[in-house]
Order: sequence, then structure tokens, then C-alpha cells
Amino acid sequence: MIRYILKRLVLMIPTILLTSLLIFWAMSLTGGDPVMTILPENATVEQQEALREEMGLNDPFFVQYFRYVKGIVQGDMGESYVTRLDVFQTFMGRLPMTLALGGTALIFSVIISIPLGIWTALNQNSWKDTAGMIFALFGVSMPNFWLGLMLVLLFSLTLGLLPSGGSGGVRYLVLPALTVGLGLAALITRTTRSSMLDVLRQDYMTTAKAKGASRRRVIYRHGLRNAMIPIVTAVGMQFSYVMTGSALAEKVFSWPGIGLLVADSITKRDTPMVTGSIILCCILMAIINLMVDIIYAYCDPRIKAQYSRKG
Amino acid sequence: MSQKSTNNEGFSMEILKQYRGRSLAQETVRRLFKNRGAIVGMIFLIVLIVVAILSEFIFDYNTQIIGMNPLALYAAPSAEHPFGCDNMGRDILARICYGARYSLLIGIGSVAIGLCIGIILGSLAGFYGGVIDNLVMRANDILYAIPNIMIAVVVVSILGTSPASLLFSLCISAASSLTRITRAAVMQIRGQEFIESAYAMGLPTWKVILRHIIPNCLSPIIVQCTLAVGNNIISASSLSFLGVGIPVPLPEWGAMLSDGRAYIRSAPWMCIFPGLAIMITVLALNLMGDGLRDALDPKLKK
Amino acid sequence: MKKLFALLLAVAMLMSAAVSFAEVDPANVQETLVIGTAQDVNNMEPYMQNDQINNNVICLTHQSLIMLANDASETGITYMPMLAKEWGWEDDNTLVFYLRDGVHFSDGTLMTADDVVFTYETAMDPSSHISGVLSLITSVEARDDLTFVIHTSAYSNELTSNIASKSLSILSRAAYESGMDEPYLIGTGQYKLKERVEGQYVELERVEDYWGIGYDSGDDYGWIIAPGNAKTVIFKPILEAASRVIALQNGEIDVCIDPPTTELQFLEDDPNVTVLEAPGTRLFYFGFNCEKAPFDNKTLRQAVASAIDKDTILQVVLSGKGLTQNTVLNRGVWSFYNEDDLGAYTYDVDRAKELMAEAGVNPGELTVDLYSATDDPYKTIAPIIQANLAVIGINVNIVSLDQATLKSECQAGNHQIFLWRWNVLDRLDEVYSELFSTGFATNYHHFSDPYVDEMAVEILTQKDESIRYDESVELQKYLAEESPQVPLYVANLVIAYRNGLSETYLFGGGNHNWAHAYIDLSAK
Repeated sequence: MIRYILKRLVLMIPTILLTSLLIFWAMSLTGGDPVMTILPENATVEQQEALREEMGLNDPFFVQYFRYVKGIVQGDMGESYVTRLDVFQTFMGRLPMTLALGGTALIFSVIISIPLGIWTALNQNSWKDTAGMIFALFGVSMPNFWLGLMLVLLFSLTLGLLPSGGSGGVRYLVLPALTVGLGLAALITRTTRSSMLDVLRQDYMTTAKAKGASRRRVIYRHGLRNAMIPIVTAVGMQFSYVMTGSALAEKVFSWPGIGLLVADSITKRDTPMVTGSIILCCILMAIINLMVDIIYAYCDPRIKAQYSRKG
Repeated sequence: MSQKSTNNEGFSMEILKQYRGRSLAQETVRRLFKNRGAIVGMIFLIVLIVVAILSEFIFDYNTQIIGMNPLALYAAPSAEHPFGCDNMGRDILARICYGARYSLLIGIGSVAIGLCIGIILGSLAGFYGGVIDNLVMRANDILYAIPNIMIAVVVVSILGTSPASLLFSLCISAASSLTRITRAAVMQIRGQEFIESAYAMGLPTWKVILRHIIPNCLSPIIVQCTLAVGNNIISASSLSFLGVGIPVPLPEWGAMLSDGRAYIRSAPWMCIFPGLAIMITVLALNLMGDGLRDALDPKLKK
Repeated sequence: MKKLFALLLAVAMLMSAAVSFAEVDPANVQETLVIGTAQDVNNMEPYMQNDQINNNVICLTHQSLIMLANDASETGITYMPMLAKEWGWEDDNTLVFYLRDGVHFSDGTLMTADDVVFTYETAMDPSSHISGVLSLITSVEARDDLTFVIHTSAYSNELTSNIASKSLSILSRAAYESGMDEPYLIGTGQYKLKERVEGQYVELERVEDYWGIGYDSGDDYGWIIAPGNAKTVIFKPILEAASRVIALQNGEIDVCIDPPTTELQFLEDDPNVTVLEAPGTRLFYFGFNCEKAPFDNKTLRQAVASAIDKDTILQVVLSGKGLTQNTVLNRGVWSFYNEDDLGAYTYDVDRAKELMAEAGVNPGELTVDLYSATDDPYKTIAPIIQANLAVIGINVNIVSLDQATLKSECQAGNHQIFLWRWNVLDRLDEVYSELFSTGFATNYHHFSDPYVDEMAVEILTQKDESIRYDESVELQKYLAEESPQVPLYVANLVIAYRNGLSETYLFGGGNHNWAHAYIDLSAK
């Protein structure tokens, strides 16, 4: 298992290098001279040229890229063009905000969606199922930034209960987390329901029932356990959705997380910040995916066996 | 965003065996028409497409869609303007009708391009395996590691804001998920007897892929496409909302929402209606997608 | 006329707030003042930036030699003493400043002319971001501990304006030479940085042994260097304007910078909130690339200028909270001339059509790209211009760009027409040279005219004020006729705050000084 983890970690390196090359290349094509962002508007042409030279912006692309990678290897992801702060530190400063938002949303959605998914599956084709599925269908069809705006309209503007944006205590977290969480809950509800339905149709469920086990025991002992694996995978796979959803929610609620950082940095053409943040996001996602895989392996002995065989 | 529909694996060719008598297409249509949700979704989409096409003739683009009407700034919904007017006095209903074409074009167009790329790459990877498979799937892994919206934002910032670059940026994520699905389906079919017999008949590989493999793995692809159109409509509006989508003054729904955001307190209808339009359209697509999936999946047969 | 009077009244109110140097009873001062801003502070090293948001913070922690007055058009006094008590030109190449005695930095070290020399030399270094505007200075020296001398290559009417800028706030040589982290945070101001959390807030705390406590300035300007009133001042970015307004109403912030005009109705109904409105100085304009066809044609430029409905733009963009103008100089700047005999091409569709015919352009034949930034208000102005020009038969294609790209494109001259803004505090040269003279990077109009070039220099160096005034008016008339630019409007300064906000010193363009501001609890 440890060898497997190490192998996965080593495999991350080429992926990250390639990602950094792609992003770096993409950012070099975006136009928008960083010098225009850094210098005051009335700087002279000579000043602009001198700064371009100093920053190495006139160098060929691969020289710039090589310099950048060399910096990363030495633990230096560069400085933001706009704030002149260290990219890595800025990212790490923002990370807890996004983790708090994404984490709360994920917990909230799991608490709602798994019971709801099981409940609708058990009541398949009844009005309860229909109601649950309509909720889920609306949830996945709604652009979550719009949901966020509607929540602001209701809870901040009409009822005056919660702040409409910014950061501070827990009160500021409620609406953004709801925004991300509701869409996520809808997704997981659908997955849970269909995976539960799959399990309910399996032969061992019929066998368990035939053996005279109580309905409750059949469902919780046999059904849920087996249905959990696809559900856990589905939840694990939603991190990309959580990141995207958080980015939009952060924009709606001015929540100073990574999504807002990347969105703002792109509009300001803050190349080091954009490149660095996306690379760090990829690393983060890779680590999360690895963690999901490990948890998954421990849940399912078949997979664990497979990994140890691969070595 | 395209990760929204992760749950449509598990298609098998049992369908074929089960319905030898009747063609798969006939059976699917028959079952689809029994699904009320899918019918509602389909009717709505047809109406929307008609509206999108007719709006060209109903409204005058220069005066009603992008023109200004200083007398109706922020007009609240009324009989004259059922959805109210925006910050430039433009009728929101007219703009939503006209804007349907952008959302539909971008949603359908991006998936169509993504489908072509996905089928080619997916069937190559699935059929040949080995180096090609590795290359395609590693590239896919990279796209998978970066949230789609970030890829799209980067692409749009390279190409500039226009409907075309939005379409292109969104086809990447569609291509990525369709490649995965095609590959999985092709791999499942590759080893089956009828493929071997096709080879035995002396057909060249490309013909085998085109004539025998792809038609036999269409069902998961069709379902994924329907859902991907919905996802891409949401993604397109999200990008416009982030300010990297469709430029002013085109009445794209996400852009309208983004404009309305500053007036959420004084003119909430500027936010409410474009969002509703997006939601209902995607809802219709999802209803159709769910209906198709149920119709194509023998396991869910009631 | 009524409108003008209301504005004058607002100006008077604006001034009275700060200039009355009343005794403040500490018991009535709310400990913390929270200012909700539209941007996040991005750099606190004075000479490496020139952003309004940073300057708003820097002027609490640092001081410059002199300070710009916000009421020069009333009093005739443009600059006030801050760290320098007196100054003046000794001859055409020598500008001398006499510093106040006993000024010390927040770390306790005494400030001398040597620190001023250090600051200026650092700022003049080519790597500094403001070195470009200091090119006139040949060298600086400390004549003695309290006398600072600037040697220039020529006389300029406007050098003092740069000296008053926040970018030239005085830094401590000792701090820089000590090798400490962020030596630029050491200043002589009333406050010092306590904590900066990127994206969330900047918190400043009062310097307890601030040099100005009980200091006898010996002139009428002691209030400038008086100690701060609030114990803590927090700048909190709430980027979304609507959220900022709600935060003010909920009491999360005390001051809301730039509330959107559409939200003012809600604020005006709120008994806990005051909305202050005063004339602004930030001019939004529409410009031509005069170097490139088709707008190298003066008559065509005049036709376009006559087709633009500024009143509607102002109404749509700002609900009318601003003033339209026809001259290129920013409103409120000395010698601003916007009378009827300016000869500007104002909204008149018939005349526009005539001029189109005269320029030899047939309606429907011309399609041009309008370069516009993706953010407000440009994205709202652009479609109106598009609609206006459609009336005279010019098709406009809007090209939305981020600001950095817009600036590079305009500088490179790839555009045909563009939307931009210019904020001028008091320097005429910022308009005449930087916008309209040959060879300036910010001359996005690519306008090149020997007469304008010559007049810009003349106005910069002419010592006789009445001649200079006439020259300035003459140049404005000339530029109105040439129409390289169609000035649109100047947005009003709008600030909303919790009742009781006192001792503010506000500028129409947004470069406010919050060094003494506090919430007076007795007035709440």
C-alpha cells in the first residue's frame, strides 16, 4: 500500500509539470501586458521597457518557463504582480477559507442527501420518491450562483437575517455554504438513490429477505453497506464540483477564498498568481483524489487486494 | 460542472439481446414516450427552439434587444413588460427570448464538437489500448485534475470574449467526459463475437469501428450528451457571470444575470428571470436525459 | 442654477467637516472605525505604487512634505504644510523645503532632511514606479538637518503637486538600512500597521507617542498633523457594491465608499445612515485614435462627438448623479472652462448627420471597433454609444477587454475608438501633456499636434497666473474643436456612513484622508 501511495505521488510530478507548462503557455498567450498592471498609468515608455527587461518578459518562452520551474523546485512560486506578496503564502492564506466553505458544504450536503437518497429509493415510485426526485432535479438544474443570488434576496435583503457577503464569523459562511451545498446535495441524492436501487435488486438482498431477516436489518446491514462504495466514490469525485461551485459562490459572496483569488487574478492578468494557484489547485485535487482512493481501498477489500498485487 | 452526471455507467449490450425482435430505436422511443417528464422536457425544448428562431423576426435587434429606452429604466414587471425592464430600459422577456439562441447554440454546439473529438479519441483509445490509450487518458487526467471552469476561463482569456471562444472552451470539458465514456463502451464491446466475425469478413479496422463498434455504444453517449448540453449551458452562464463569457450587449442569460446582480435590491427581476430561464431549460434537458437513460437501461425497467 | 447651488452647499459641508479643528472629547469617540472599500489594498510601499486604495491607507501611516487641499477653488490655497512648514523656489532650478522640527517616526527615531533625501533618491531610482514623473529633478540634497533642497533642470508650475503625492511619503533611512522586513511600513503618520490579511482587511492602530501630540505648528494648519481620534482604523474590502451597502446598514462597517447610485434610495430611507454627495473629479470619456483611419479625419470625429447623448449616458449609468461636461479638463481643476463659447460639439443629431456628409462618409458604410473595459461603468456606456452611433449610420462593434489589455492595446494604437477615464487632482499637465502631447505613453488618442505640444510646455512653465489662465482656456477651446476626445461626465463623489462620522477630509476623485476620522457617539 505504501509503495502504491509513493508511486501515485511520483506519478503526480509529470502531471504537474505538464499542467504548469500548459497554464504557463496559456497565460503567455493571453495578452495584457503585466507591466501595465504593475506600473502607474502615467509611467513612461522607457520605464515600461526597463521593467519588462528586469522581469525577463522579453526572454523567449522556454527561458521564462525554465526559470519558473526552477523557482518552483526551489520552493519559490514567485510574487504576485498586483500585491507583490508571495504566491504560495497568499494561496495558503486563502486556502482555509475555501476549505471551510467547501467542507461545510460537503458535510451539509452529505447529511441531507444520503438519508434522502435512501428514503426515496426505499419508497420507489411513491409520491415521496417523486417529491425527493423533483427536489434533486431542480437542484442539479439550477446554476448555483443564481441560487446564491436568490438566497441573498431572501435571507439578506428581504428578511435581513444574514450578511450578503464578506468574511468574518460563522454567519458569513451560512449562505455561501448553502449555495454550494444544495446543488451538491441534489447530485449526491441522485447517486445514492440509484446505487441503492441497484443494490436492492441484487440477489443477496432477496436471499437475506428469504432467510427472514427484518426489513430494517436487510436494508441497513446488507443494502446500505454495499451501496456505500459507489456513494463514497461519487462524493469523492465531487471535489471538482465543490471547487467550481465554491469559486462561483466566492464571487457571489465576496468570500476571500481561492476561487475569488483566481478569478480576480485572471481579470488583473496577474500571471504568477494564476499559474501558481492553478498548479497548487491541481496538487490539492491530486492529493484529495489519492486520499479518496486510499479510503476507498480500506473500505473495499477487493480493491485493497488488487493494489497489493500491483505492488 | 460536467461531473454532475457521473452516474450513467452500467449500460450493457443486454439490451440488444433482449429486443432482437424490435429495433433498439423503436423500443427506446416507445419507452421514452411513456415517461411524462421526458415528454414535458421535450415539448419545452421544442418551444424554446422555435422561440429562439422566431425571435429574429419578432423583435428588432437594434431597438428592442440592444437599444435603449430611457423611459423604462428599471420598469417593474407589468402587463406591458411581463418580466420588467433592465438598467437600460430593455424588455427582459424580449432579451430572454432572443438570448435562448446563444444558450442553445453554445450548449448544443460545444457538445457536438466535443462529441466528435470524444468519439474519435475514445474509440481509438478503447480499441487500440496500449500507448494511444495511455496518452489519451493521461491527457484526460490532466484536464480532469483542473476544475473545468478554470480551463474555460483560461481559454476564454486567450481567445477573447466572444460566443465562439466560449463554445470552444466548453467543448473541451465535453470532449473529456465523452472520451472517457466512449472508451469504456468500446472496451466493453471490443472483445465480443460479432466484432470478431466482422474482422473475419475482411473489413478494415476503421470500418469495423465506424460500422459496428460506435453504433453499439451509442446509448451511453446519447444520454451523456443530453446531460452535457445542460451542464454546458450552466457553465456558459457561469462564465458570463464571472465576466469572461459573452461580451455586452448580447443578451446571453448569464450575462444578463451578471448585469442584474448590481441591481438585485432595486430591480430583482433583472436577476430572477434570466436565472429561471437557465434553470428551466436545463431542467428540461435533464428530464429528457433521465428519460432517455431509463428508456435505454433494461435494469431500470419497471 | 439650483443644482449648482446644491453642489456648492455640498462642497461647503464637505470642507467644514475637517477644517474646524475642534477639541474632541475622547469619551465620545467610537474606538474603531471600519471603512468598507471597493478594492483590497495591494501594496503599501509608497513609491512602488500609485493606487488610490493604497494611498488612502498610506496617508494614515505616512506623511509627505506638503498636502493638497481639497478646497483650492474656494480659498486659492492649493498646498498646505505637512512635514515641511515652508517652501518655495529660490531660483528656476532650486526648490527649498524647511522641515518641521521634532518629527519622529513610529519607531521613535527622529526624522531629518537626510530621510527626505533618502526617500527622494529611492523614488527617483529607475526601478521606482513613480520615477517617470520626477524626471525634472536632477538631484536632491540636505542643506542642513531641517532644510531639504531639490535641484531641477527647469522651472515647473506643477512639481509641487508631485511632492504632495502619497507616493512621496517620507520613509526612514534607518529602517531601510537596518535590514528589517518591510521597512516601508515605518512612517511618521498618526497610525501604524497592526495586521494585513490579504483579501480580508488592513488594520491600523494609533501610534501612542505620535510626534504631533501637543505639537505647536505655529501656523493655521496644526489640524493636519493633529493626532488621530479613533484607536483603530480598519479598511475592509467588500468588492460587491450591493453587499457593501448592506454591510453599512447592518452596522458591520461605518463608512461605505462608492455606494452604487441605484442603492441610494435605500440608504436615504435609513435613519442611521447619512449619504454625502459632492462634485467629483474623475472624468469618463470616449476617445478616438487620431492617427489611424477613419478617425484621422477631424470632421468625422466632430460628427461622432455630435451624435453622443451624454445626458442619457449619465442618467443610465449613474441615475444622473454626476455632471456632463464638454471640455477635456477635469471639473474642479483650476482654469476648468465649460462655457458655451468653448465651441464643443454637443449632442445634435442633425448636425452630426451634416458633418458625416461633409466628412464624406455614407451612413451604413462604416463599421468600427469600440474598445471598452469589461467592468462598470464601461460595459454600460459602450452599448449606449453603440446605439447613438447607429443613429448616424456608424456600426459599432464592442470589443470588451480587461483593463491591462485595454491599456496595452490603446498604447500600441490597435484601437479605433475607446472608453476610458482620467482622474486629475490639480495638475493641468496631467491632461495637456499626458493625454494629448506627442510621445506620451498615456496619449491613447495618438494625437499629435505641434501647437498642443508647445502650449502644454508653455502652460507648465508660465509664471504669470492670468496669462496662464488664458492660455489654458485657449488650449481647451482648441482641443474642443479638434475633438480627439469626447468628454462624457464626471461622477459625483458619493459616500455613505453611519451617523456621527466626523473630521473627514474628502476629495472628489477619491483620494481621501481618514487620518482624523472617527464616529462621534454623541451625534449617533
